[in-house]
Amino acid sequence: MTSPRVSAYLAPRRRLQLAGLLTAPVLWLGLVYVVALAALLVTAFWTVNELTGQVQIEWTTENVVEVLTEALYRTVTLRTLGIAVLVTVLDVLVAVPVAFFMAKIAGPRLRHLLVIAILAPLWASYLVKVYSWRALLSADGVIHWVLAPFGLDTPGYGIVGIVLTLSYLWLPYVIMPIYAGFDRVPDRLLEASADLGARGWSTLRSVVLPMIWPAVIAGSIFAFSLSLGDYITAGIVGGTTQMLGNLVYTNVGAANNLPLAAAISLIPIAIILVYLAAVRRTGALRSL
Amino acid sequence: MDSAIRLRGLHKRFGETVAVDDLDLDIEPGEFFSMLGPSGSGKTTVLRMIAGFERPTSGSVALFGADVTALAPFQRPVNTVFQDYALFPHLSVLANVEYGLRVAGVARKERRARAEEALGQVRLAGYEERRPHELSGGQRQRVALARAIVLRPQALLLDEPLGALDLKLREQMQVELKELQRSLGITFVFVTHDQDEALTLSDRVAVFDAGRVVQLGTPREVYDHPRNSFIASFVGSSTLLDPDVAAALGLDRAPMAVRPERVTLDGPAGGVPGTIAEVIYTGPEHRLVVDLDGLGARITALEPNTGAARPRARGDRVTVSVERGAAAPLETEPAPA
Repeated sequence: MTSPRVSAYLAPRRRLQLAGLLTAPVLWLGLVYVVALAALLVTAFWTVNELTGQVQIEWTTENVVEVLTEALYRTVTLRTLGIAVLVTVLDVLVAVPVAFFMAKIAGPRLRHLLVIAILAPLWASYLVKVYSWRALLSADGVIHWVLAPFGLDTPGYGIVGIVLTLSYLWLPYVIMPIYAGFDRVPDRLLEASADLGARGWSTLRSVVLPMIWPAVIAGSIFAFSLSLGDYITAGIVGGTTQMLGNLVYTNVGAANNLPLAAAISLIPIAIILVYLAAVRRTGALRSL
Repeated sequence: MDSAIRLRGLHKRFGETVAVDDLDLDIEPGEFFSMLGPSGSGKTTVLRMIAGFERPTSGSVALFGADVTALAPFQRPVNTVFQDYALFPHLSVLANVEYGLRVAGVARKERRARAEEALGQVRLAGYEERRPHELSGGQRQRVALARAIVLRPQALLLDEPLGALDLKLREQMQVELKELQRSLGITFVFVTHDQDEALTLSDRVAVFDAGRVVQLGTPREVYDHPRNSFIASFVGSSTLLDPDVAAALGLDRAPMAVRPERVTLDGPAGGVPGTIAEVIYTGPEHRLVVDLDGLGARITALEPNTGAARPRARGDRVTVSVERGAAAPLETEPAPA
């Protein structure tokens, strides 16, 4: 509890109040977040002593040039990008109808149940969820067992497995903003659209989708950026498939080349910046 | 000729609540028809069933001779002006007005011409490129009107369209609505809780109470001959007279309602003596509450503000008279269905 005298002193001094409130979080953000990111950027331009394996502060563009020119990195970048796009598209396709049902059709009780059901997986460990997908996808797993009667088989461990697992992992992050977006579309507008002669499909296309577009973009940013940076899922259900994150991990650990790892990690950062700039042009970020 | 709108045995329940109770109603082509009632009286629910937003629990809705009870809103030849306007926030004024034509597949050029015409009819030419959030309440109201009439509906449904406007604007929009209805020549069904509005605009008024129509008639019939005490006090103001008071005033010994402007003070024939208990100055007129001697009752009278040197004041002695025929006999119970 603040003493009355302290309160009396602070009450007219708004700037001091604000400073007291914001100093700690701003320091935290500055040190832990911005400095770490800056360190990463800088490290990409250092080098490693080949004998000792120590990072040397010796300026070079060698790492960045290697990442930009080596075929390996191009292949893995395209693969990672493809996976991220597929995951994002899949999640949006699933999330839009689910969110629509939650916001506009389900009664209050069912809506609460659905919100809980969608958020519940977030309480479980990431690793547990990915390993359970490993079990699902395995050669004698549930997917094999369900599909076998139709002459189909589990996709096994590889790109398809990665896409399925990542889509599952990020789905709640995509559903929730789109659900909030639908919730903000007044029912009255849907009635007005029907009154003016629009069938359900027309109303969805002309009224609902334009209005929830910013929410879809918000959801897609989650799915896209989380997919770009992931490496654990690729390691567990990806078989021999590597994503950018795996290359970073290998270089930090086994190859002990921190500067190269930093250079590789600039790729997803660059992609995300391009993506954000692109959606910014659609005006979707203004209403976030 | 078929009725524009024919409701038969219309019934709507929300859970345990009966919103509309076995309603029969015929609204004629070209009529300005008001549904007047306090909130919760079922008038908006009836409008929503005509538009198709609500399905009746039982009963039928026919528009121009065709049963539409099972049809969706987009299949009905009527359009709605919503209370909160319900304009599409992401579309310009022009795109809002063109919306119905666009989903109907009307070609761009004709669409544009008809939208311009509709905007002209509501005096909103020049606002095509604005967004709804850049407009005032009155302008939004006009866009909502234009958006509905551009489709040339056979009937226009208006759900308390003037409710959100301030008094001056409301009076102006009343005049424009009436003119619009005359020039379009189509049926207007107008939902309101404002009795002034209903009396001013309508060819006929249906007074709603508790899900039923308690009186149906021209504004003059409803105002001059209210059927029961609810209507007498909800539509305009009235003094309700006990049978004894009515008899003392020389009327039939029955429950009566009398409008303040039909009460005469100090008339040539004299009347019941009383004392002025309250004087309410409203500008154009004085509202005078008179305690009637020995009857334990009060009556309200209305006198024009004539600018007299000494206006009536509290405590003045007066005589009160009511002409036969100036008071309306009331049914003791609210009208049965």
